[in-house]
Amino acid sequence: MVISLRRKNKHIGSHVVMCIWCLVVLFPIWVLLINSFKTRLTIYTNPFWVPEKWNFGNYSTVFKDGNFLLYFKNSLVVVVLSLALVLIVSSFASFALANWKGKASRRLYLFFIAGMMLPIKIASIKLLEIMRALGLLNTIWSLVPIYVAMGLPIGIFILTEFIREVPRDLTEAAIIDGSSYVRVFTTITIPLTRPALSTVAIYNLIPFWNDLWFPLIFINDEKQKTLLLGVTRLFGQYQTDWSKVLAVLTLSAIPVLALYLCMSKQFIQGVTAGAVKG
Amino acid sequence: MSKKKNSIIPHGNYWIIYVLPALLFYVVFMAWPLLDSLRLSLFTGNNIATRKFIGFGNFVRLFTEETSRARYWGAFVHTWYFFFIHMLVQNCLGILFAVILTNATMKGRQFYQTVIFIPTTFAVLVTGYLWKLLLNPVWCGDVLSKMHLSFLVRPWLGESTTALTSVALISCWQWMGIPTMMFVAALRNIPEDCIEAADIEGANAWQLFAHVKLPMILPVVGMIAILTFVNNFNAFDVVFATENVNGAPSYSTDLIGTLFYRVGIAGQHPIGIPDTGMGAAIATITFIVLLLGVLPVLKATQREQ
Amino acid sequence: MKKSSRFLIASFVLTLLIIPCLVAQGTQEQGSQKVVLTMGSWRTDDVEQMGRLLTEYKKIAPNVEIQFQPTNPPDYNATLRLQLDSKTGPDLMYARSYAAGQELFNAGYFADCTDIPGLMQNFTSSNLAPWRMPNGKMFAVPFAAVSHAVYYNKDIFKVNGLAVPTTWEEFLAICDKLQKKGITPLANGVADEWDILECFFLGMLPDYVGGASERVKYESGEKKLNDSSFVAAYQAMADVAKYCPKGYESVTYNDSQVLFNTQKAAMFIDGSWTAGVYTDATFNWGVFAIPAPKGRKTAICFHPDMAITMNTTTKHPAEAKAFLAWLCTKEGATTASKNLPSGYFPMINFEIKLDDVHANEFLALNSGKETDARFVWPALMDLYSPMNQAVIKVMKGQLTAQQAADSVAALKK
Repeated sequence: MVISLRRKNKHIGSHVVMCIWCLVVLFPIWVLLINSFKTRLTIYTNPFWVPEKWNFGNYSTVFKDGNFLLYFKNSLVVVVLSLALVLIVSSFASFALANWKGKASRRLYLFFIAGMMLPIKIASIKLLEIMRALGLLNTIWSLVPIYVAMGLPIGIFILTEFIREVPRDLTEAAIIDGSSYVRVFTTITIPLTRPALSTVAIYNLIPFWNDLWFPLIFINDEKQKTLLLGVTRLFGQYQTDWSKVLAVLTLSAIPVLALYLCMSKQFIQGVTAGAVKG
Repeated sequence: MSKKKNSIIPHGNYWIIYVLPALLFYVVFMAWPLLDSLRLSLFTGNNIATRKFIGFGNFVRLFTEETSRARYWGAFVHTWYFFFIHMLVQNCLGILFAVILTNATMKGRQFYQTVIFIPTTFAVLVTGYLWKLLLNPVWCGDVLSKMHLSFLVRPWLGESTTALTSVALISCWQWMGIPTMMFVAALRNIPEDCIEAADIEGANAWQLFAHVKLPMILPVVGMIAILTFVNNFNAFDVVFATENVNGAPSYSTDLIGTLFYRVGIAGQHPIGIPDTGMGAAIATITFIVLLLGVLPVLKATQREQ
Repeated sequence: MKKSSRFLIASFVLTLLIIPCLVAQGTQEQGSQKVVLTMGSWRTDDVEQMGRLLTEYKKIAPNVEIQFQPTNPPDYNATLRLQLDSKTGPDLMYARSYAAGQELFNAGYFADCTDIPGLMQNFTSSNLAPWRMPNGKMFAVPFAAVSHAVYYNKDIFKVNGLAVPTTWEEFLAICDKLQKKGITPLANGVADEWDILECFFLGMLPDYVGGASERVKYESGEKKLNDSSFVAAYQAMADVAKYCPKGYESVTYNDSQVLFNTQKAAMFIDGSWTAGVYTDATFNWGVFAIPAPKGRKTAICFHPDMAITMNTTTKHPAEAKAFLAWLCTKEGATTASKNLPSGYFPMINFEIKLDDVHANEFLALNSGKETDARFVWPALMDLYSPMNQAVIKVMKGQLTAQQAADSVAALKK
């Protein structure tokens, strides 16, 4: 499979490959969208084509049900706050770990990335007890510290590597000129690692937004539920009104997609701004 | 590169402050609860009241009791296969897409990149539902037969020979966006000069990739291999969404993640009595396996300063 | 810079949200005398019905509000477990019968209910048994039982001139006739695994194995789990596989319901709890008992499914107990039955008439027949998974009926 990368041609081969993949992606999404406009049973009589009768009732039920917007708000707060904290805290730590030589630094680095290798679910009981002791149980604030702790290993893993890529000349020149490490960090390192920061943000955005487990065990109060948790109550024990569920899930995917588009813009700007010339 | 400027580089005490906030979150909300839970692997039972210390008893039982052993090794093998499919499909396609997407003169790149990423934004519930519908001969059989594709009409998720591959491919479909994104970042970081130099020397696309691009993005390739490895060994949601927590059919889609959940957290349906000690033992073994896998790859691919 | 703008967005959003929360806080300060109890359950589809029931209870105990907070069934075990272990569990909760519930009592989570007024007096011994410890203590108040039968599409039967079968052989003949006409006879699938066991195999087992008095012989070891009765039962499953939808290996429980509901399948062997799904069906449907083979007596699997109990660590034991006691009175039980979801049957001694036509149809199946709980529930829960796998393998043709029976029998301690 030789894809021609010469700048002169029209990249027909590449377009063919990408179009095939787009089909593979967009067809199921098409199925998702059209079925959210059907009723529970008509999904199955005709799974792949547009509905005979468009049913907007699913979407309107979602909005009439006051709680959807509340769940959405809760999710948004939790995710934005957690992402902000992960980025800030892990970028400081990564900067230190990338510049700090020695055994202690290497050990700390391994300590942090070890967190990626264990399923945090196993610590659920202890975490429940901690949250209860902190009085945060049954509120959305119980989720934030856990998500930050979950996002840190990946953040440190990715950022440390990218910060190491920042040429030493730049940072050392600044130090010689008399600026503190903090200034070097904020004015040089961060802008050059914007793609990495966006990557960490996007990588963590998905599990934070779509997490079902911790909201499930921490939160019982209707008003504090996150979006996905609130929505899964639509899955009855044996009856699942999939048309409604698909409508809600489509709506809940939109903010994530929007957040992704924002972050990927940052990502691309960062890449072109900080393009490293050898 | 530059001369060592030891007098300028601060000692550990200075850097500790930078690391402190991360340490705080991490220790209180992850390290300590996890270590405390791992400690449970040395105890029996599922109940705080009736716990007994049994040393390595759980580990021994895991590998000697017939059903436990069968389940564990089954899950272990399945997880390696799952990882293999991800490396082959998700990561290789990811590199391919990234190479295509970093082509400066190609049109529509932003569109393609967004499309690749859309499945990643979905909750696994959605992916599970969609693919259960699409792969179900009862609902799709008619349509496929009309399109003369009846060889595709099979219960892909229901036969033990095809279920694991199907689930792995579904997972690749969903997560393709992440490695693609990271490879794009890595490829963009390659200095223009290197590429121009190779071009001038008359390298064709494949040579350009194999001899210039790939070596320069090796750390990222290693990073993604590690992340894929770790995620697959903890994978649970995708099996839960497309099959059930038992790894149906006949435990053929049972992964270490589902085994752990079933043994240590939820217990066997419908009784629901978990064995937290045994679950912790499984998690400990997984941790060791992951360390053994990750450390060599880290050493081989990460650049030391 | 990106960081500072992120900060701004975060703090802006935060302020926006704190305000309504503070407002909501304010209004909650009133109503000081009210006691709020939480009730946990795995029945997320009963939110409406339980809501009505609890509203009725409020008329009797105006200062007590009970909130029904169900969790989805796949997550129920894990969630409940964690909450109980960390002392954050609900005040009242549904209790599963036999071993599953006993274990939670032994762990100290379920309260001793033996001296709740009306409990020991108003239920028969066999109805109390599923929630009784070996030493006689009760750990829950029985709430509802379920039944298992064959749902059938009356219209399809009428058009094809079919009558309700009275023997298993007649049943297979009907399936055959329907299949030759191009109609899928059965909607059952095996993708979700539990349904083929709990609804079909265990629903059918009393036909082959007998009622409770026979079951205890298997439990004690007097009869073997791979005797001719069992082998016949597994063989029946193997025989019926070809009448399930093509691709039944991928058919989930939800798919089966849809197949029956859209008339793509003529029959569905299922539990009574699904009756509510078909209330708006566009066709006539009914139920008949899973018939026994010629020469054996048809028996019904009538399974005590749900009971309600209270958490030992509840902050309001008096109010929780009062609710449980209400369920043991005639008025309480009648109100509860009127609001039970379709397909659940009361277990109390009093004569309670149900309004729903189909519910009565189910109950009518019991007359003149032996009934028993699901075979593995009382004492053989360890065999649930092996039996489940054996049934699926026998349907797929991977094991013969004898091999399947042997595989399960070998595991009996």
